[in-house]
This record gives sequence, structure tokens and C-alpha cells, in this order.
Amino acid sequence: MEKVRSPKNIFVQGPILPEKIAQSIANHATKTDIGGHSIFLGQIRADEKPEGKVIAIEYTCYEEMALEKAFEIREDVFAKYPLTCMHIYHSLGEIKVGEICLFVFTSSKHRKAAQQACEELVERIKAELPIWGKEILDSSDTQWKVNI
Amino acid sequence: MPHYIQLKAFGMLAEKIGSESLELVNPGSSEFLRQQLLEQFPKLKSLTFRMALDRKIIQADTDISQGQEIALLPPFSGG
Repeated sequence: MEKVRSPKNIFVQGPILPEKIAQSIANHATKTDIGGHSIFLGQIRADEKPEGKVIAIEYTCYEEMALEKAFEIREDVFAKYPLTCMHIYHSLGEIKVGEICLFVFTSSKHRKAAQQACEELVERIKAELPIWGKEILDSSDTQWKVNI
Repeated sequence: MPHYIQLKAFGMLAEKIGSESLELVNPGSSEFLRQQLLEQFPKLKSLTFRMALDRKIIQADTDISQGQEIALLPPFSGG
């Protein structure tokens, strides 16, 4: 029988800790049909702007819409690739330079599905989820982030 | 009798409007709403934004009914 999935919370208040990522990897040790994992980690970069250097990004979102959309993306990607597992976490609130703000984790029997699904998820998360980043500069100025 | 709609604003748009939520008389459609917002908040004229009705992005001019959730969305910048 097909597993029925329901929307999950993808948001984490504050940075995604390396310990959480390690734990998440460890949690898959019992799933012995997995042959490959693919992981994407988004990290806050210290961009240099004419107005100052980025020291943190403050993320806000339209939560209800973001969770509905994330669920839709998740279902699409599960339908497209033979995946065993998929996990998506995005930070909210202030995340400092060097900290992790996005964690996408896919697993499959063979590597290609996990790799391709992971890439597609990251692209769709950036393009389709109503999340906004405000860059906080060392001059205490702020600027709205623009995704390239 | 006119009815009111609740508007949510996010990111840069909430900053320009000065609030994250707004109550307006329903102008009837998303295009009328856009015109009304640009008149009321001239600062929005220089910004790009989309609208969502009940959490779905509006692709073309759409009627707005009482009780629907309308949101103003600046370009997304997650990740």
C-alpha cells in the first residue's frame, strides 16, 4: 500500500546545528536498503556590500503557504525519483555567518536518484517557498537578500 | 454594504507599508487591489511583488471573495 504523507513542519528556529545533521545521518543506519545519501547544506556567507559586510541573515516566512508548497514539492519529487527518504529543514530567525540555514537530505538505493532529487529540491525551495532573508550588515544597516 | 478583506504583507513589503497586516474594503479583484495599494502606498510602485489568494499565487486577474486570505509577496529569498 502507498504510504500517505501529510504536510510536515520544515522550519527550525535558529541555525541548524551540525549535531542535528550528524544525528539525522545516524538515524538512517537501520534503513539497509539505502545505498546512497545526498546532502545539501546552505551556509550564511559574509558577503561584502558597499554598505557593509553581512554578519547574519534574519529569515521570515509565510508559514502556512510555505508548508503547503513544501508538501507539494516533496510529493512531486517523491513521484519523480525512486527515493527511500527525504528531509528538508530551513531556519527562521537570525542566523549568523558560518551557520547552517538549509539542510536537504535525500536517500536512495542508488546514488543518482538521491543526487538529482537533492539538487531539484534545493532549486525549488529557493524559487518557490515564501521565505525572505534580511541581511544584517556590520554597519548595522540591513538589506533584503536577493536570490540569484 | 462593503465588506472588508484582511491582507498580509511580508518582507520588504511589510516594511514599506509599515505593517504586516491590513484591513481594506474589498476592491473586488486582484487587479483593483493592486491599483488601490499603489495609490495608497506609492512606495510600492518601485517594487516587484506577487499576490497569493488562499495561499496560492495569483497568475491572472482573480475575483476576491469575502473571507479569502490575501498576501503580498516580495521576491522569495530563502535558502
